Amino acid sequence: MSRRLGILWTALIATILAAPIAITIAGAFSRSPWYGLRSEGTPVQGTGELFAYVLGLWGGNLLRSLQIVAVVAPLALLLGAPAAYAFRRRPFPGSRWVEAAAVTPLAVPGIALALALIETAGGAPRFALLAAGHLVYTVPLVVKTVGNALESHDPRLEAAARTLGAGRIAIVRRLVLPLLAPALVLSALLVFAVSWGEFNVSFLLATPSVQTFPAALYLTYTTNSFPVAAAATLVFLLPVVPAVAAIQALGGAELQRGAQP
Amino acid sequence: MPAGPGRRRREVTAAAPRGRRSGRGAGSGAWSGFLLALPLMLFLAVLVLWPFSHLVAAAVTAPGGAAFREVLAAGRYRNALVNSLLISAAAGGTAVLLSLTPAWVLARERFPGRRLLRAAMALPLSFSGVLVGFLMVVMLGRIGAVPELLRWLTGRGLLAGAAYTSAGLFAAYLYFEVPRAVLTLEAAFRSFPSDLDAAARTLGAGLGERLLRLRLPLLAPALSSSFALTFSASMGSFGVALILARRFTVAPVEIYTELTGFSNDAVAGALCLLLALITVTVDRLAAARTGRRKPP
Repeated sequence: MSRRLGILWTALIATILAAPIAITIAGAFSRSPWYGLRSEGTPVQGTGELFAYVLGLWGGNLLRSLQIVAVVAPLALLLGAPAAYAFRRRPFPGSRWVEAAAVTPLAVPGIALALALIETAGGAPRFALLAAGHLVYTVPLVVKTVGNALESHDPRLEAAARTLGAGRIAIVRRLVLPLLAPALVLSALLVFAVSWGEFNVSFLLATPSVQTFPAALYLTYTTNSFPVAAAATLVFLLPVVPAVAAIQALGGAELQRGAQP
Repeated sequence: MPAGPGRRRREVTAAAPRGRRSGRGAGSGAWSGFLLALPLMLFLAVLVLWPFSHLVAAAVTAPGGAAFREVLAAGRYRNALVNSLLISAAAGGTAVLLSLTPAWVLARERFPGRRLLRAAMALPLSFSGVLVGFLMVVMLGRIGAVPELLRWLTGRGLLAGAAYTSAGLFAAYLYFEVPRAVLTLEAAFRSFPSDLDAAARTLGAGLGERLLRLRLPLLAPALSSSFALTFSASMGSFGVALILARRFTVAPVEIYTELTGFSNDAVAGALCLLLALITVTVDRLAAARTGRRKPP
């Protein structure tokens, strides 16, 4: 009895969480006469035309977000993964402190970081500043994910490889990297999911010519009609849904700490 | 159980010097570790430490800490901070309470559709704050789904525009907090030793006694860490409030308004520092509490 009630309660909460998404998706495909010509002044009547219109409006932002992810993802892995390896396998005096410091930025509000970056490096190219802001919130996720993975592997494997005559490069290439491959894939997905939706840092750092897609979402939510806003939301969700599904399948618990709403 | 990860960590440090190929001084493993972590340390120093120390220096060197005094004096800025604290604390507590049952069900029960429910819980985790704000407008805006439904049922426009009130912001915070609390608690519930619960039952402990004297103490760290997580997520949440906060203000939006509307960098900086101080302190307290069993 109580089991059934618990499942019902869970289903109710999941439904409440899913309902607004379902309504929004329906809004992008509905054709109601009171929308007029999708109330945008241009003949955006079919669904295909609606999405073409949205991409025409915000295509630049979409491209910018993709560029940011393309720059941030490899950099975050290169900064975070070797450090995580050091913290677990080659600890040095003070490494516990560095590790704690490395994950602390996750708790710092994005707008505070944005202001601090503007005040100190406001003259830097805005794309670099945006990438820097995204790195601050994604590198900690890589450190955590790779660190957790290393913790679950037996460190004596590497010692065994060494006694069998494997050099450092061989150990990294043929033992450590293959063992860490799932964690590295998970890290890259987390970086993507966080960077793709990042708004709190990006909005203050953005300029009219260098804006990410969530900034476009803000503009479309405040200026466009509901079908256009819904279509833009759908464009945002399209890569997020498979990414989150894959993160869940790989057991990525860091997402609930990483993404700042 | 608590000794598990700790013991393994000690083994790691012990294995490193033993496993080295040539006997170059005892510090070689540590040196290579330092070099591997050096890029990260430089990155943290340049992009986090330096900007924030600049912010602190600017706030402290201002005559008499004027900006802090202005923020903490009664008025708009203090109201924004208090609003943030109250709504975040209320929403965080409510989210943890609402999430207890779903987290338990997802962790311990097997039933058809479980994976689908879990996916629905996880999806909002990656949502941008503005998107959460928009979803709240879709549900509770002036022509939102809920008011339209109520109009159809009762003939009156109840709850129309509720999204733009502090209750609407509270609901929006719940929207992104419940998934965070559910998934954090689920992980804790999965490792809950149910044999202890069974033992207590055979010893005659009723449900109430088991809840109070067994489950609550065992789960206290998970409860406090999920509250810390949800609380600091909403304290720093900017996008949601930017869409919804029309008739009142919360700290992140106030920072934005001061910066872009009035170029009042001193007050914005002081507000940023106070906000970051609160969220980082709460986060570190929770980490210290669970840290005895797990690395950060």
